[in-house]
Amino acid sequence: MKVRCLRLIAVGLTLLAAASLGRVGAFPIEGNQSILPAGTELDEDALVKPREVFRSEAKDGVKSYLVNLGNLAFASPAILGGPARQAGMSCETCHVNGAGNPKLYIPKMSTRPGNFDTTGPLFNPKADNQVLDPVRVPSLRGARYLAPYGHDGRTSSLREFVHDVIVTEFAGPEPSPVILDAVVAYIHDIDFLPNPSLGPGGRLTGKISDAERRGEALFLKPFRHQPTMSCAGCHIPSGAFVDHRQHDVGSGGIFKTPTLVNADFNAPYFHDGRYDNFDQVVAHFDRVFDLGLSEQDRGDLVAYLTAVGDGMQPYEREGAGGVLKEVNDFASVLETAIPANDKEVIALAVETIGSELRELTERYPDRKNTSISGGQQERANARIGLKEAILTLRRIDVAAAGGHFDEAAAEYKNYRNLMFAAVPMLLGSAQPWSLFNPETHDAHYAAFRKTMQAKQSAH
Amino acid sequence: MIEVGFGRALFAWATNPTCAGARTGPWEYFVAACLQLAMCMVGSGQGYATPLDEAAERYRPYMIESIGQALSGARDIRQQIAAGNLAGARKAWISARAGWERSEIFTAGFVPELDEKIDAWPDATAGFHAIEAKLFGANRLDAASETEALVGHLNDLHLKLRDMRLTPQGLLNGTVRLAYEVGESKADGGESRISGTSLDDMRNNVVGIQFAYRTIFAVALESADRKLAETVAGKIEELDKLLVVRDLQHVDIPGLRRTTEELVVALQGAASKLGLGRPTLEVSR
Repeated sequence: MKVRCLRLIAVGLTLLAAASLGRVGAFPIEGNQSILPAGTELDEDALVKPREVFRSEAKDGVKSYLVNLGNLAFASPAILGGPARQAGMSCETCHVNGAGNPKLYIPKMSTRPGNFDTTGPLFNPKADNQVLDPVRVPSLRGARYLAPYGHDGRTSSLREFVHDVIVTEFAGPEPSPVILDAVVAYIHDIDFLPNPSLGPGGRLTGKISDAERRGEALFLKPFRHQPTMSCAGCHIPSGAFVDHRQHDVGSGGIFKTPTLVNADFNAPYFHDGRYDNFDQVVAHFDRVFDLGLSEQDRGDLVAYLTAVGDGMQPYEREGAGGVLKEVNDFASVLETAIPANDKEVIALAVETIGSELRELTERYPDRKNTSISGGQQERANARIGLKEAILTLRRIDVAAAGGHFDEAAAEYKNYRNLMFAAVPMLLGSAQPWSLFNPETHDAHYAAFRKTMQAKQSAH
Repeated sequence: MIEVGFGRALFAWATNPTCAGARTGPWEYFVAACLQLAMCMVGSGQGYATPLDEAAERYRPYMIESIGQALSGARDIRQQIAAGNLAGARKAWISARAGWERSEIFTAGFVPELDEKIDAWPDATAGFHAIEAKLFGANRLDAASETEALVGHLNDLHLKLRDMRLTPQGLLNGTVRLAYEVGESKADGGESRISGTSLDDMRNNVVGIQFAYRTIFAVALESADRKLAETVAGKIEELDKLLVVRDLQHVDIPGLRRTTEELVVALQGAASKLGLGRPTLEVSR
């Protein structure tokens, strides 16, 4: 019991930390000139983000060219089309660091935070099925174990599914085979967060509470009216808690079995994200399958699900170091693409990294932002460093587009000199006055909210 | 106020980090690059009258006219508020804003202290955006004190313009900075999102860039490097065309970013051809 309590407290504290650190970031897009509807929440300014674990990095210490290229494409609005590309959205917007985005909300496309209608009118009118049928944004952790893909499990091919998302759901141009392969390689490389409580065969191990042990037994026990069925019959513990099949569980259709691994961090639950927590999920199954669970049974099952769904260090603080690490990984594709005279990848890298660095620049507010005092010189220097890097990338693009690959290679060397030494130093000096600092972040967004409230209060 | 020479030093260090010795670290490289650049600048002849100085002088009437429009618009806002005319006050705000946005070539670099008071964002407690929030956001006319302050600041600026020393370097810096800024994403509605006039801001910025380039730098660059001059003029024209759209949502944002960065890269290249230093990308005190 003690372990369970400690685990629940730990999960609670993690969620509380995530909620409090991100509190000021929870303001929506406003105004009538934005690409996405007023009231849209993408949670892009959150101060904590899900932690991403790569299989290849854990195993070999580095990611392959293909994985880095896939991660780059995944973070690039350029592979999408229509309003998504215009708004600067990418796969990463919904699948933050390969996890989900429980705060994502798009008016008339979402019915609650954490879901949206992939067949709605906004992103590709041609794909509009005229029905508001939003689905939750799933985590992609461990996706290589989780075929078939899509909430309805419509395809066993991740490659086909990714193609469908890009071209059909988000009106993107036909992706090149290498980009598709790369995105698939990237998704396949996203690992589950380690969970020391899960032993061989998916059984709980280590210090297990009584409630968790009772919950595990209930999970494995046949349903009282359908003895061929059990929770574990579909969520097979030895197989990443999935059976690779679709079922009707009384939620309004036939949907694939979702994994329970790391599920503590995957709320909201069910295909449409209708449930906020495991209590509601267990109550649903109790009701639909008439399981006859007592109050203690329900609590035990929730304790078990919480233990199975745990993961080490689920969130990490957003900071310049993390962003630089990511863009430097992205930029590493240029080491292959420039000598290979690969104009397509060079252009994609320049657009995507440049866009990321532009966003990073805005984390160091300029002089006209009077909500922030101090560090004006440090902020200016940080902005200069980032702008120089962006313009150096542009020179790479211009040189490559003109067929001057030697020139592009020389500019890439300049870029690396900036990004591996000078820029980290400059950003470090400006950190106290950056939006990575919670106090500065709060002051900035408080001023922003106050300004925008003038409009909201009039309507 | 100083124009930051830091970017120049940073660029020099990035392009040749080993110049200061193979065993030194990045900070030492950087300091060495700063010193080298400072020495180069001593002999650059800046401060003497050149054809570019004369060309910069030709920019002055435009500057006075644009700020004059901003000032006149701000006075009109004051009158409309006094008359209780919300529609009139909004119209006057848009007119004042147009003059201001055309002037952003020089406001940030030459009068940063006034720039902060006039155009603070997002902390809209003073300046254009404070008034915008009242007139367009809250549909209220209680912006008399903010408008009075704006009139005062614009008037101060207008008075300074006749005697302000205009340097080609400062104006090139401003042109480059503004070109870069135009490429920033306005997908969230931009700086003037409450009034819905961010697209107008961008168009007026480009008008300002175009005028400054043609008036001050075009002739000299054409004689120094015709091809580069054509590139710069072509990129400005592309920018202009990218903004001929129905509304902000229809701006090709990635295309705009690419074009502005190509323009900045071209202008950075033009600087040495014009005998000027590498343009700075930020202003500080």
